[in-house]
Amino acid sequence: MVENAYDAVVVGAGGDGPVTAWKLAEAGLSVLVLEAGPFHGNEQWPNPHEEPGGEASSSVEDLSGDLLDEQFTTRELEMITNLVFGPADHERGFWFRKFPGDGAILQCAGVGGTTLHYTGCHPRAYPASIDEQGHWPIEYADLVPYYREVEEMCEVAPAPVTAKEELFFRGAEAAGWDLIEDLNVTEPGYRPQPNAIRQPDEKLHVDGDYDGEFTYPDVEGDTLALGNIAGNPHPRGAPFEEKAKRASNVSFVPAALRTDNVTIRPNAFVTDVLTETPRGDTPTATGVEFRDTWSGATERVDAEVVVLAAGAIETPRLWLNADLPENDWVGRGLTIHFGDNVMGLWDGDDLEETIGKPTVDQHEGQDIAARLDYPGVGMLQTVGTAPGIGAILGFGASASGFAFQNDPADAPWDTMGRLAGSDLKRLLSDYRRMLQVLVVSDDRPHQRNGVSVAPGASDEHGPIPIVNYEPSEGDRKRRDELAETAAEILREAGASHVHRSDSPPTALHVHSTMRMGKVVDEACEAYDVDRLFVADHSALANGVGGANPTNTGQALAARTGEKIVERHF
Amino acid sequence: MVTSRIGAWLTAARRSLTSTVGLLLELLGIGPDVDPHTRVTFRAIADAVVPETPALAEEIGPEHVAGGLAIDLDEFAITYVDDGFQFGLPHLGPQGNIPIADPIAHVLDAAALTLVERGDNEAEPSLDRALSLLGPDDPSAAKTEDAVGPFAKLSRRDRLRAIAILDEFEVEFTPTDHDLLELDAGLVGQLVVGFMEMIYYSEWQGYDEFTQPPSRREHPNDPAAVQSWRQTGFPGFANGYAALRGYVGTADGPLGDGDAWTTIDESTGVAIRREPGSFRENEYDTSGYEEPFPVESG
Repeated sequence: MVENAYDAVVVGAGGDGPVTAWKLAEAGLSVLVLEAGPFHGNEQWPNPHEEPGGEASSSVEDLSGDLLDEQFTTRELEMITNLVFGPADHERGFWFRKFPGDGAILQCAGVGGTTLHYTGCHPRAYPASIDEQGHWPIEYADLVPYYREVEEMCEVAPAPVTAKEELFFRGAEAAGWDLIEDLNVTEPGYRPQPNAIRQPDEKLHVDGDYDGEFTYPDVEGDTLALGNIAGNPHPRGAPFEEKAKRASNVSFVPAALRTDNVTIRPNAFVTDVLTETPRGDTPTATGVEFRDTWSGATERVDAEVVVLAAGAIETPRLWLNADLPENDWVGRGLTIHFGDNVMGLWDGDDLEETIGKPTVDQHEGQDIAARLDYPGVGMLQTVGTAPGIGAILGFGASASGFAFQNDPADAPWDTMGRLAGSDLKRLLSDYRRMLQVLVVSDDRPHQRNGVSVAPGASDEHGPIPIVNYEPSEGDRKRRDELAETAAEILREAGASHVHRSDSPPTALHVHSTMRMGKVVDEACEAYDVDRLFVADHSALANGVGGANPTNTGQALAARTGEKIVERHF
Repeated sequence: MVTSRIGAWLTAARRSLTSTVGLLLELLGIGPDVDPHTRVTFRAIADAVVPETPALAEEIGPEHVAGGLAIDLDEFAITYVDDGFQFGLPHLGPQGNIPIADPIAHVLDAAALTLVERGDNEAEPSLDRALSLLGPDDPSAAKTEDAVGPFAKLSRRDRLRAIAILDEFEVEFTPTDHDLLELDAGLVGQLVVGFMEMIYYSEWQGYDEFTQPPSRREHPNDPAAVQSWRQTGFPGFANGYAALRGYVGTADGPLGDGDAWTTIDESTGVAIRREPGSFRENEYDTSGYEEPFPVESG
């Protein structure tokens, strides 16, 4: 049952909102979390994409591992369709937004947000991106205690090695890079991913001759099957909180509910921030208005503090659509880790020599479990995908036409661009002998890039987000440097064919549209609205150097939770 | 309690009204029937992106011959893009979605005309080629002739060239230093090539009916039921694999522990070790940081 008033209302139950909610609730505040998408694995909503179900969930007893097993099939097309940002009702399409350039935005709706399809990667920011790039008003050292807390909650540990990681490590070592064993990375080198995925059961070692079931309780922890991008329910049969991947729905949501101070209402899209201006010019946030995505009914809720955690696209959209003061940086400074994909293909004989078997088998092991850190430039990471996602990321989307139109004679890759026809079929026939490397660049915040709204282009929640992005010359150079580094590592690992996508600007990591120091202060409270806080990746002052942003977003959200209590309660 | 009952009744009433409106729209011809021009254009896309390839039989095996048309990829792609986006009419259910297959087909025709105007096509457009894309269940060639647009008449390679022309249509509008509005027709190319490939190589073909509600979808999870899985060697989705080799690390470092299972590099001592470890909470110093590339102010 949702009340009319709470101490705090949090807009969004994605990667970060539940962290702040948990902190506030631990301090004894009553908290309502409003989430636009569905709540998976919750007994209040046995068929979350087919019927409205219950109203809200306030008890950890509602969480069900069996329901999560049923709803997270790990089938790639089905799960992308179910999870990508849109209404719960399966009959309705995605919520419309204008994509950046000819790329796309990949965000999820639902409790857990985009951590539902993140791959568990939980590195810290590069310290230099916070202390030396000039964007942040706080220091890296301020975040370290919160990183530790988040890493403990999410059980972050070095990712295990299967064949594909061994192949990458051999290539990186042969290319002359050093192994990094640290949490705080200041020099380039390669590492196992710090992943928020429980380490695998030791009986799954290749030498162990295991021939039992891969379900709980026969195996506990990670089961080494792909599935993170498609919502990971492994090990199947495990209780909700024993699932291996510590997405925010598995890590912070149960902790928040266990305080008995938190109510989560899914299928509730916030459309307005309510304010009063009792004195002077600065408005004070007093609550929000939201719309039930099944019934269309509109409701209001009052709160002492409003926390925006709707993500780096929807948080500025909500600000712009609400009657809030103008600020030149709301929605501006978007960073998306302007990315690319470089694919290696191997001959079976060469693989036999390098990794002792004729196939890479990218469908085995954690999706993303090996990385190269490159402070000042960005990062590389290996990606195992099922063939559909692999096809669109590696071959189907490009900013430079088709491979047959490009001449890569002087380039370190053999082909570049979209692949189609018999070229595509020939390459994908080698699916089990290929490994993809994702290029993630340290793109910098530019005021021109970001989210705006226009009155004419609206949906049921008001003007839609119009997302514009154009990388700078420096951003392109960093990306090119990383693509060349990836090609060299793949060659050193023995790849016989290297393909570069030249991907369009696809927003997998989305940040810095409500930047600390520009829109929000050092406690993440808006300069222009009292008692209005931002606790999601939009408050990050830059793209944290190109490292995966979840850990930093959550660390900052935890810190913001404490600051809210200090300032207002 | 009473209010919630009234609310439920209102919801039910609204839903039944919605389905009545839906029925009316269908009767008026604004319904799920696919326009013949759209159908033949999407066949031409599927046939260019994932074609039938008899030449691959000898090269890599007979299972690689069949293409997208053999499994009605075009039909599903139309449904998928038409159901893909909605624009704020929740009570209309699926009819509130924006049908974008028709406009996509027309954009591709415009691109095809540009290709031919420039003389960049390698083969002459041909109506017969387009009609050969029709399946046994389609209306006769005589009935479809008028529906064939310029895109479907191109050779496979020229269809891809036409799609690539869309990449050139980019608009960038910067009224002030910090405003930007860019529009890029290349998105159509990402849709018709990228989505087509993602659908084809995904599990899609194995469903009895993908448009069923999620709880009623059945999938055999067997390469026998998915042509593309037979072509890629993907074995289907698994609950797990006994694929653990260990943890990368050095003998005196914290990342991995125990015996070396295999050595990565003798000289640096990097090996894959049997037991798990953890990262080191290290001191750090960024005072020597230099930007590797020039940085613009932002």
